[in-house]
Amino acid sequence: MATKDQLIGFYEMMYRIMYWEQYLLVMIDEGHVSGIPHMGRGQEAVPTGACAALREDDYIMYAHRGCGYQIAKGLGLSKIYGDFLANMEGTCTGLGAGIVHIAWPDLGIMGQSGTLGEGLPIAGGLAMAAKYAGTDQVCIAFFGDGTSNRGVFQESLNASSIWKLPVIWLCENNLYGISGDIRSMSATGNIVDRAPAYNMPGVLVDGMDPEAVYDAVAAAVERARRGEGPTLIEAATYRYSGHYYGEPGLYRTQEEVEEWLKKDPIPNLAARLVAEGHATEADLAAIRTRVEQEVKDAAQKALKAPMPPEGRMFEHVYAPEAVTQAGERSA
Amino acid sequence: MADVKDLLARPNTESAERGSGPREITFIEAIREALDEEMERDERVVLLGLDIGRFGGIFGETAGLYDKYGAKRVIDTPIAEAYIAGSAVGLAISGRVRPVAELMFADFIANAMDEIASKAGKWRYMHGGLMDVPLVYRLPEGAVGGAGAEHSQCPEANLYSAMGLYLVVPSTPADAKGLLKSAIRDNNPVCFFEHKALYFTKGIVPDGEHLIPLGKADVKREGSDVTVVAWALMVHKALEAAEQLAQEGISVEVIDPRGLRPLDMDTILGSLRKTGRIVFAQEAPKTGGNASEIIAIIAEEALDLLAAPIKRVAAPDIPVPQCIAMEQKYLPTTAQIVDAVRDVLK
Repeated sequence: MATKDQLIGFYEMMYRIMYWEQYLLVMIDEGHVSGIPHMGRGQEAVPTGACAALREDDYIMYAHRGCGYQIAKGLGLSKIYGDFLANMEGTCTGLGAGIVHIAWPDLGIMGQSGTLGEGLPIAGGLAMAAKYAGTDQVCIAFFGDGTSNRGVFQESLNASSIWKLPVIWLCENNLYGISGDIRSMSATGNIVDRAPAYNMPGVLVDGMDPEAVYDAVAAAVERARRGEGPTLIEAATYRYSGHYYGEPGLYRTQEEVEEWLKKDPIPNLAARLVAEGHATEADLAAIRTRVEQEVKDAAQKALKAPMPPEGRMFEHVYAPEAVTQAGERSA
Repeated sequence: MADVKDLLARPNTESAERGSGPREITFIEAIREALDEEMERDERVVLLGLDIGRFGGIFGETAGLYDKYGAKRVIDTPIAEAYIAGSAVGLAISGRVRPVAELMFADFIANAMDEIASKAGKWRYMHGGLMDVPLVYRLPEGAVGGAGAEHSQCPEANLYSAMGLYLVVPSTPADAKGLLKSAIRDNNPVCFFEHKALYFTKGIVPDGEHLIPLGKADVKREGSDVTVVAWALMVHKALEAAEQLAQEGISVEVIDPRGLRPLDMDTILGSLRKTGRIVFAQEAPKTGGNASEIIAIIAEEALDLLAAPIKRVAAPDIPVPQCIAMEQKYLPTTAQIVDAVRDVLK
């Protein structure tokens, strides 16, 4: 159960994620940003609830559905814009460009695999490292329903269970992998139905409710920190846009889209906060105004940053120095 | 050279007594010593792979290490090469572990190719240099004993096109030990190819701390008439060929690059400058192998050094046949190197 302050925090975070993305689309339309973002509008509750259950030093291996994961993990908004702009404000200072490669190891944001699901073994490795070092850090691996059909899903969930790794496998089931309908692509009705095969708990949650996501992830995190191993969580959610910017999503019925629009996590939580007396409409409006300014300031900061120097694309392919003695580096 | 009996036999797991000057040990003992010494020196070094724990590795490469370091540092994995290769990336980028992951057969890179080529090799670059990926993939390669088309390849070239990966290929116990220790200490992902037919060959290994820098070729035999560039098992065939040719008064220089990236082109070109004639010997099929790439560099940068056309000795462009008799016919031979050297002297 989330506290009143947490619920208000969820609202603010979801609004930040949503507004950040909407402003990115403006920057694209204005010609500042190239590339094709995979919008996360509709799915804000999942990263918001999940990352609220983490500490700063916990790891995430995020998915490509929006940038809510990085925002909710605490990464500065201007830095993510900088990655889309491929300029020096970006975390990858010009070498990443967009949704795929954004990283900030100090916040446990360890990058992402551009090939679906291939980050799952890496998440397992991060959890192995935490266990090896004797910390109680955990790792959340976010992935979509389509990714659950990759072979690395099997390899990673099995390994995590036999070794009781501190990892949370968090599937955002938005029903579609581009146009592929998971109801005709998965042999199990729900992804979480596979959890018993890996001898781990499987939890199906309402992915449109940040509190439900938070509760499920917090329980899985506590279990992982106790050394009891992984959990598979499936968050039932929906993306309101197509797979990527400009893709109209015509493989879905209008009725289905409208049904899910009624579950929009942001207005729904706003209504609940007011109905339960946690906040007034004016309180929420003040939050929105503050967040909008924060996003616009971040965008301006990123837009003013310089492009990477000539030759940047030749940097960082290899670590510059070999370590030849314990703790010593040779030129 | 090892034959099938050697590979099936459980090897002697007792290393020769250390601390008594240079010792003669097998290639596989050199590998084991390198792993042992680096694990002892740095507790971040962790091994993972199939059957490497109590079983000691199918080649005996980790014998004794499980007893010494325990299951926490010698990790038996499920048959899941993508997980082995990918979890090594996760371990490495944590900054807390320097994994040495074994794929049992180098051919199995295909089962983990995205993790090796596009994660280990590119993670640092794709994320702007924010993370190092200090790991080693140990890749037993080569045709021996009729293991067939899927357990016998020398797939260095498959990874040569994957920028971001170092490729190291030792040919002697001393090189294996010194290069593996350096690979473990390097902050780049290193693909470490070990030819299985070399595992039970012996050689002198210096006593004490023995490190060989990555990317430095070794002149295995000095000569003045023809340069032969060879790596892994082919180094030994090149040395046999050089010995035979010496009887005819032909002086062959054998260069072992000991690794294909970083590639020590200076040593190769230095030798070519001296001899003007060059032969390449690789065990992989001729087409698409690493010899072709080095030859392309010579064509671009040093064509004027050549007094004769370049020759390649390599396997034919077919899969490795499983039948041992056919496998023997498939493998490039000492005699072919001898012929190639004579050809470039015509």
